[in-house]
This record gives sequence, C-alpha cells and structure tokens, in this order.
Amino acid sequence: MLDALIQGLLLVLQWNAFSLMLVGMALGFVVGLLPGIGGAATLALMLPFVFKMSPVEAFAFLLGMHSVAATTGDITSILFGVPGEGLSAATVVDGHPMAKNGEAARALGAALMSSLVGAIIGAMALAISIPIVRPLVLTFGSPELFMITLMGIACITSLSGQGTRAQLKGFAMGFLGLLLATVGQERQSGILRFDFGLMYLWEGLDLIPVLVGIFAIPEIIDLAVRGTSIAGNAPAAKLGAGVWQGIRDTFTHWWLVVRCSVVGVFVGILPGAGGGVAQWMAYAHAAQSAKDAEDRSRFGTGDVRGVLGPGAANNSKEGGDLIPTIAFGVPGSGAMAILLGAFLIMGLHPGPDMLTKHLAVTYSMVWTLVIANVITVVACLALLPWLAHVTRIRGSLIIPFLLLLVFVGSYTANKQIADLLVTLAAGALGYLMVRFEWPRAPLVLGFVLGKLAETYLFISMARYGYAWLTQPLVLVLMALTVLIIVFPYFQERRVRAA
Amino acid sequence: MRLSGAALFSAALAAVAAFAVYTALRWPPKAALFPLVMGIPLLVLALAQLVVDLRERPAAAPEARRAWGILAWMVAFILLVLLVGFPLAVPVFVLAYLVTSGRERWLLSVVLAAAAWAAFYLLFQRLLHFPFEDGLITGWFQ
Repeated sequence: MLDALIQGLLLVLQWNAFSLMLVGMALGFVVGLLPGIGGAATLALMLPFVFKMSPVEAFAFLLGMHSVAATTGDITSILFGVPGEGLSAATVVDGHPMAKNGEAARALGAALMSSLVGAIIGAMALAISIPIVRPLVLTFGSPELFMITLMGIACITSLSGQGTRAQLKGFAMGFLGLLLATVGQERQSGILRFDFGLMYLWEGLDLIPVLVGIFAIPEIIDLAVRGTSIAGNAPAAKLGAGVWQGIRDTFTHWWLVVRCSVVGVFVGILPGAGGGVAQWMAYAHAAQSAKDAEDRSRFGTGDVRGVLGPGAANNSKEGGDLIPTIAFGVPGSGAMAILLGAFLIMGLHPGPDMLTKHLAVTYSMVWTLVIANVITVVACLALLPWLAHVTRIRGSLIIPFLLLLVFVGSYTANKQIADLLVTLAAGALGYLMVRFEWPRAPLVLGFVLGKLAETYLFISMARYGYAWLTQPLVLVLMALTVLIIVFPYFQERRVRAA
Repeated sequence: MRLSGAALFSAALAAVAAFAVYTALRWPPKAALFPLVMGIPLLVLALAQLVVDLRERPAAAPEARRAWGILAWMVAFILLVLLVGFPLAVPVFVLAYLVTSGRERWLLSVVLAAAAWAAFYLLFQRLLHFPFEDGLITGWFQ
C-alpha cells in the first residue's frame, strides 16, 4: 500500500500530468469565480479533451480543475456576496458581512486556509477509507438518507437567529424553501405541480438561478443604494493586513475546522446528498456549536467561524465524494457523475479493480487533491492583498461587472433565457427578505434538501411501508434530529437560568 | 390604517401558501402530501407574522429610488440579451451603465467594456465553445 502511495505521487509529478494539472487549475480558477458554470458544467465541457490523455493525466487535469473551482468560489462569495459556485453559497452568510466591515483579507485568509485543511483531511479520508467504507455506504438505504435530509432541515433552528419571532420567520422560510422544491413534475405519479402551464417549470426550479438571485442581487442593490465601495466606510488600514489573522483563526478554531471537514467528508460519501448540502450542514454545525445564545447571534454579521466551517467542508467534500465513485461507481454528486464518464472513457472500471490493479491511479487522485489545493492556496495568498482592495473600488465601476457575473452565470447553468427571469425574481424576493428581516439561509436549506427528502421518503414508504420507522439506525438519526431542534432552546434556557 | 411594507410581504407570503394548499388539494394524495405538509404550516406562520406586523408601527422606508433604478437596469439587461444575444449584450450593457448611471469618463468606460467583451469572448467562445442563443434581432441576420 505504501508503495502504491509513493508511486501515485510520482505519477502526478511527471511532467505531462503536472502541467496538465496546472492548465486545469488555471481554468478552474476562472470558472470558479463565475456562478452557474461551476465544477460540474466545466467538467462536462472539458470531457472531450481527455480522450487522448492517460488516466493519470486526465484525472490530474479534471480533479485539479474541480478542486480549484471549489476554492475560488469562496472568493467571490466573500468579496461580492455573489456565490462563485452555486453550491458554495454558505460562505456568503458571514464572509460578505466581513468584507463589508473591511475584513475582506481576514475572511479570505480564513476561507483559503480552512479549505486547505479541509482538502487534506478529505484526501486523507479518501486514502484511508477506500477499503473500509463499503459497509458504511451499504447500510445507508433510503430511510437513513431521508433521516439525514431531515437532520439537515432541522438545522433551521440554529440558522434562524434568536427569540420566538426570529424562529417563526426562520421556520416560515424553511417551509417556503421546501415548497419551492416541489415545483415541477412529481416523480411517482407524474402530476405536474405548480407548473402554471410552462414547460420550463416541468423540471422544477434550478438551484443556481435561485441561489445566485437570492444572495447576490440584494447585495448589488445595497451597493447601488449606498453609492460607496463594498467596504464602504471601514478604515483602510485593516484591509490588507488581516490575511495572517485569518490564517491564525483557522488554527485557533482548529477543532471546529476538523469537525466541519469530517461533516464534509461524510456528506460527500453519501450518494445523492449533493454538494450544496455539505456546506450548509457545516455552517449550521458551526452556528450550533456557539457557546451560548449571545455568542450565536454573532453568526450572520461577520463571524469568522461562519467562514471557516463551510470553507473546510467545501473542500473535504471532494475527497468524500470520490470515495463511493471510485469504490463502487456510485457518484456522490453531479460532478462525480461526470467524472465517472471520464473513468469509462479511460477504460477504467470503478470498483474493486481500482483498489487492487489500479491502486496507484487511485492514489494519484489523492495526491492531485492535495497538491492542487496547496498550490491554489499559496497562489491566492500571494494575490490576497490585491484581491481585498477590490472592496475599495467605487461601487459604480463594479456593479455592471457583478450583474454580468450574476446573469451570465445563471444562464450558463442551463442555457435557458427563462433562468434570467428566475434569477431576477429570486433577487427581488431576496431583497424584500433582507429589507423586512426574513432570514435567507433557512429558505435555501429547505430548497436544497426538499427534493431529496421527498424522493427518499417515497422510496422508503414504497419499499418498507411504515416498518422503516423502527430501523435502529433510523431511530438513532431521529433522536439526533430532535436533539438538533431542541438544543438551541435548551441552551437559551440554561443561560437565562444562570 | 396604512399597511406597512412588512405587512404586505407577510400577506403575500400567506397568499402564496394559501394558493399552494388550495391547488394541492385537487391532486392525488401522493403528489399532494408534500406540498400540503409544507404549505399549511407556512400559511399559519405567515398569518401569525402578519398579525405581528399589523400591530407594529411601520419603520421608516429606506431610500427606494436607487433600488428601483438598479432593478430597471437588470430588466434592461435581460431585454438586451433577448434582442441581441449575450455576446453583443455584454459590452453594450457595460458601456451604457458606466456612461449613464456610473457617470464615468468615456475613455475608461470604453476600455472596461472592451475588457468585459474580451474576457467573455476568450472564456466562453474560444476556450469553452459555449453555445449562446441568438437574440431576436441578431437571429434575422443569420
């Protein structure tokens, strides 16, 4: 095994593979900045180019691109409030307020460093767990997956802010998100729900236009209304200086970063849970582990922990995603489904072969994840002082470019003009929500998880009737879900009693 | 009594929930279950919030004119894309925005619009070969 590990490293460091990885990374860097055309879409567009490559070269190219896109997605999320990856919007919630407070460099430093730690933990998980993960994945059937989605939805309580009124608004938005997820053809009966006679809605609302609209457009409106730069009136001295502070934050909160990385790996392993879920779960976990109610109320206003959690999960997820893809050919996400296509182009069959005959190729993927992330983070750290200064450029110069980013990004997700209208509508909704103080995170969480929850619920019912409710693992997950819901209330009461 | 914006928003939310529940009632149980389980609590919560909003005195509205202005620019961009397609809409929009709304100097505006076009062209058309739909007008010339 150690032989294969070293052999894998040498394979990646070969001139061809290494330079292709750099090309992939350069591409991933640019693409990561654009919303919509994220990891999955670019992987698909680049697939035709890998036919002539060897397996190691192809995976160095594709994985290099993919892992960088996940990291640079956080950069636009923090600087502009535009989620650079549709699936990595959780960084916006605390990262962008930090940029507005003039702490852009600190937020970027924290995001990059936690991403790196996350990526390394993800790669380690991939290296270690391939032989032992099989039983874990096989014990997770639809009932367990349904409970996991419920657990995610239960995180709404810690994303909603304090007090009965904030909770009321948070839950209302969670339900609205779940309701929005039901738009489109119902999979069991084929009934068209809320389609308003439009064929565009048959497939349901797409994640990217909705996410980008809800998060980015209110920020652009805010920037236009204030008529200043993004960092507005924050003192200039803090601006470039925070990078090291951000890096230190990663290690001050190292235990949180590790836990969120593990959340990312775990969600990544579960097939069908999708990339968007990992970040939100990690964010919710970070908010949940606040010491008390007052401590938690800092989340959403620019708390560095709200950046560290999603940053770590975002990149550890890649390693987790690869585990079922390589070990059984069950893709953990959309991007991995496309990567599976690359396996077949290369004539490799995911499964036991990858753990025996092609073990060196498998380990070359682990190394690609590590090396690509290290290079990205070092390069970004060098660029950081300049990047942070973007927040001081006057708003009127930046606004048209942000609008391009938003609308071109939404369009490239599905190539539908109607997506532009959905983005605009989601933006208007997001703006009104911000103005009337409704939280946006629960809505997005409900929307991301809604479709999954319904599908898993129906499969569970069709397969087991009500019997699945008493399966031991389901009961454990159920207890955890209840715990997640009541924990913030319990914490609040204990603080009040003290 | 004057309705505040917050109350109107809550009322609209309740209306959406009521519509969803009403529509879902006519579907077979399998398809209706999820929308009902989500829609009914949403309706109750939105109505509760409406009551809260109606009791509170409305806060002073922030300056809305610039917000409408930027929304109008977004609508204009979408119309522009419909008419001439993305590749042409990108530089035209950047130039128009910078010159009129941004009141930037012409030289800077032209340079930035050209840069936007170049970045767009290089990335999507040369590198990714991304297919963009023709606009209504540009379609006639094909």
